[in-house]
Amino acid sequence: MGTEVFEKVVKILTPYVKNQAALDNVSASTHILDDLKVNSARLVDVVLEFEDAFDIEIADDDVDSVETVGNAIELIESKLE
Amino acid sequence: MQRTPGEASADLELPARAYLVVQREISRLLSPFSLMLIWIALRFIGGYRIDNLAEVRRAAREIRARGSAPLLVCANHLTMVDSFLITWALGNPLWFIVHFSALPWNVPERLNFAANSWQKAAVYVLKCVPIHRGGRRRDVAGVLSRVAHLLRKHESVLIFPEGGRSRSGRVEVENAATGVGRVIRSVPDCRVLCVYLRGAHQSAFSAVPERGDRFYAAVSEIEPKTDAAGLRGSRELVRQVVRRLSEMETEYFDGRE
Repeated sequence: MGTEVFEKVVKILTPYVKNQAALDNVSASTHILDDLKVNSARLVDVVLEFEDAFDIEIADDDVDSVETVGNAIELIESKLE
Repeated sequence: MQRTPGEASADLELPARAYLVVQREISRLLSPFSLMLIWIALRFIGGYRIDNLAEVRRAAREIRARGSAPLLVCANHLTMVDSFLITWALGNPLWFIVHFSALPWNVPERLNFAANSWQKAAVYVLKCVPIHRGGRRRDVAGVLSRVAHLLRKHESVLIFPEGGRSRSGRVEVENAATGVGRVIRSVPDCRVLCVYLRGAHQSAFSAVPERGDRFYAAVSEIEPKTDAAGLRGSRELVRQVVRRLSEMETEYFDGRE
């Protein structure tokens, strides 16, 4: 499950990423805003795409914990359980 | 359609509430000086005029009198002094001193307005809760909780739902900041006072308006609603607000033709 979720998360993030070099070396510890340079306003679109792709519902408060790719994966996996 | 309850509805911890109460009282005590200084700066240093000032103040007064539900002021954003100009447009400084809850709190960008001790002191006495836009989401959420708390206490709050000055010079619906929708969702019956303000020479965003510029202001009340939950609901609510601002902008430009 972990690898599959990771790959889907990266695929969803890709159109929003402004730092291609960071995307090439993406890992669970990669910071979505600071490293990938995703626009903070666009983070909402990313999370809504997570909802659609994984058929889950993410609350506003849950998003506050998402800073890294790993955080996003943890959140998604917690909703899939 | 109805507004679903927001997850950020829990109120603040006692220290945070006490901090805001103390800040409000210090701001109130100093308001005769601070409001007059701002008015003098806008009127005589900036040389600004709001052409339809009496009309827009009357409209704002009528909207305030229409109900007792919390009123969030949402405006378009083109310059760094917009919040001062909007406050001026919405009421006489003397009226705000007497009706201090109606004087809007502001949520300025920390990097622009709270970067040093002098600025921090100024924003403190001007009813501001600085935010770092694009900063850590937990920090942003903390500021939004304060904003929601203030609204629940029937304090007026001014916020720019585009999340910053419009880079295109026009209202940008796609840039609507979901956090504003989150605030609306967490405050029962929250009304939104949309304010559109623009200087005649303001073609794009800038630090300050051109000296001596003449402004047009318009106000409109909406009560955003949605059946959607979570982030989707927050986005829908803020987009309703920004769409209204965009309509007001269209009315402004249509009126100039």
